[in-house]
Amino acid sequence: MEDLGRVYQLLIPVGGHTVVLNLNVILMTWIVFGILLILGYLATRKSGFMPRPMQLVGEMIVDQLYGLTEDALDKRRAETYGPLVCALFLFLLLSNWLGIIPHLEEPTKDLNTPLSLGIMGFVIAHYAGIKTKGFKAYAKEYCEPMFFMMPLNVIGEMAKIVSISFRLFGNIMGGSIIILVVSHLTYSLILPPFLNAFFGLFVGTIQAFVFTMLTVVYISVQVK
Amino acid sequence: MAIEGADIIKAAAFLGAGLSMGLGAIGPGVGEGMVAAKACEAIGKNPKEAGLLTRTMLVGQAVSESTGIYSLVIALLLLFVV
Amino acid sequence: MSAEPQSLINVAAYLAGGIAMGFGAVGAAIGEGYTAAQANLSVSRNSENSGDLFKNMLVGQAVAESASIFALVIAILLLFLDHPDATVIKAAAFIGAGICMGCGAIGSGVGSGFPGGQACWGIARQPAVTSRLTTNMLIGSAVCQTPAIFSMVVALMLIFMDFSQAPLAPTWAALIGAGLSTGLAAIGSGFGGGLAAGASCEGIARQPETVGNVTTTMLVGQAVAQTPSIFGLLVSFILMFKSFPESTTLSAAMALLAAGLCMGFGGIGPGIGNGNTAEGAVRWVARNVTHAGELMRMMLVGQAVSQSTAIYAMVVSLVLIFVL
Repeated sequence: MEDLGRVYQLLIPVGGHTVVLNLNVILMTWIVFGILLILGYLATRKSGFMPRPMQLVGEMIVDQLYGLTEDALDKRRAETYGPLVCALFLFLLLSNWLGIIPHLEEPTKDLNTPLSLGIMGFVIAHYAGIKTKGFKAYAKEYCEPMFFMMPLNVIGEMAKIVSISFRLFGNIMGGSIIILVVSHLTYSLILPPFLNAFFGLFVGTIQAFVFTMLTVVYISVQVK
Repeated sequence: MAIEGADIIKAAAFLGAGLSMGLGAIGPGVGEGMVAAKACEAIGKNPKEAGLLTRTMLVGQAVSESTGIYSLVIALLLLFVV
Repeated sequence: MSAEPQSLINVAAYLAGGIAMGFGAVGAAIGEGYTAAQANLSVSRNSENSGDLFKNMLVGQAVAESASIFALVIAILLLFLDHPDATVIKAAAFIGAGICMGCGAIGSGVGSGFPGGQACWGIARQPAVTSRLTTNMLIGSAVCQTPAIFSMVVALMLIFMDFSQAPLAPTWAALIGAGLSTGLAAIGSGFGGGLAAGASCEGIARQPETVGNVTTTMLVGQAVAQTPSIFGLLVSFILMFKSFPESTTLSAAMALLAAGLCMGFGGIGPGIGNGNTAEGAVRWVARNVTHAGELMRMMLVGQAVSQSTAIYAMVVSLVLIFVL
């Protein structure tokens, strides 16, 4: 319980300001990258017409995610944004599942990870919107339906970033605190693993899916 | 704990701001949810009109938001101006 | 009137235990009543399956009961735990814990009644999908209990964490505010999640082959509908863990209390509204499964807009905590 909120940080003084790196989170993110690269390599080596088991799993995952993207965007755009959706979903899924392994913790437990992914989704969506509609039509959209709604529309767009990141952060962080508190109180072998499975696997999967779907939906709202 | 005039006024202002935004968020939340629910039903009945339905829903939600905006404005006024 | 800390703590603990159990009993009873009412209607419609219906009703009621079981546990802890180190700030923590668990159990209790009732009604219409309906009812109710679990966690932290290092003066308001923030915000999210789960049971009973899409839409809709309670949980954590400088002015204390009230009340409306949206979307996914993608898209857009007042409330809360 005393470890609650303790973060290992690396402070690098650079020209008057300090650059702060959270070492735990960076290490966990690299572990997720490593697992993803290994899975990708295993799924595509010696890929032939007769699929091997790993290749089958890989094709199934990509197929499902591309299907989801096509549902929201049209077919041509789904080709552009399909890899983004697959990468986002797999990264978030493995990040949320990493907490099951003892001594490892989820990189999404630190606010920086969901917030940066949320800002990335926001920038991509608005860049796509400007590219499709042109800057004038894009700026005009903020003044609908009445002119003085403009600051509120801008706040609404900012609110989308806040809600999408805080939802993921709150669910994962809240789940890990709950597991910590309950393990501190009960000393049993039954409840904490069950809770770990619920919050880590179940809630983690749903939140990864919701984050990805919301990003796709924001992109599709901007380009249509 | 000595309670003086200016202090109790500020305390009341903060409490008022919290109540204003807090209670003021209830109505628009429920109302906009009803709009979106009926919009989903409308898409279920007539999926071809998705664009028109989305626009109508967003405009309806933006107008229903107005009392929430009033609460936000009053809350910010109570916090920073009064 | 000067009261010694030990008796003050007993006063607060007993008061909080009463609040926790009193409010906590409300929701589950209403939810279970709804389930039983629908079960009665279903038995009258289809009395050959009364055995299955009866079993389903009891299972559904048991899950809806769990919210008030959480409240009972917190109340018993408050009543019977002895407190060797008596500080006045513990009294404030206990009151916060009681309010938190009491209010938090209301929404989830009522919400978990909806899937139970709709599942009973569905079994009467389509006895062949009984097992699928029961599974879906359990999944939906379990996810719907999450706001009550959040409230219980905050209540447990308020009871057991050691706050004696913090100065009394504004921290009493921070602890009560922490309890209010999660407790009140969980009402809306629990109710909304239950609406979505109920619609999914009804949809599966109408169109059993749409199970996959309906369950996916329900889970996504419930996850988004629980966001206001996540915001409440975040504000509670900030209020509990941030150390506030000592100040005896009433305005500093009221700022923290107002932050808790703001986020707490601000989570009720969006939670109910998002649940309403999810209910509409899930209901129509069952009726029009080929356009499930568009329905989910509309649901997410609508929910994102109707959550904006919860964001405003969170912004005002954070301004009250950090700026003032």
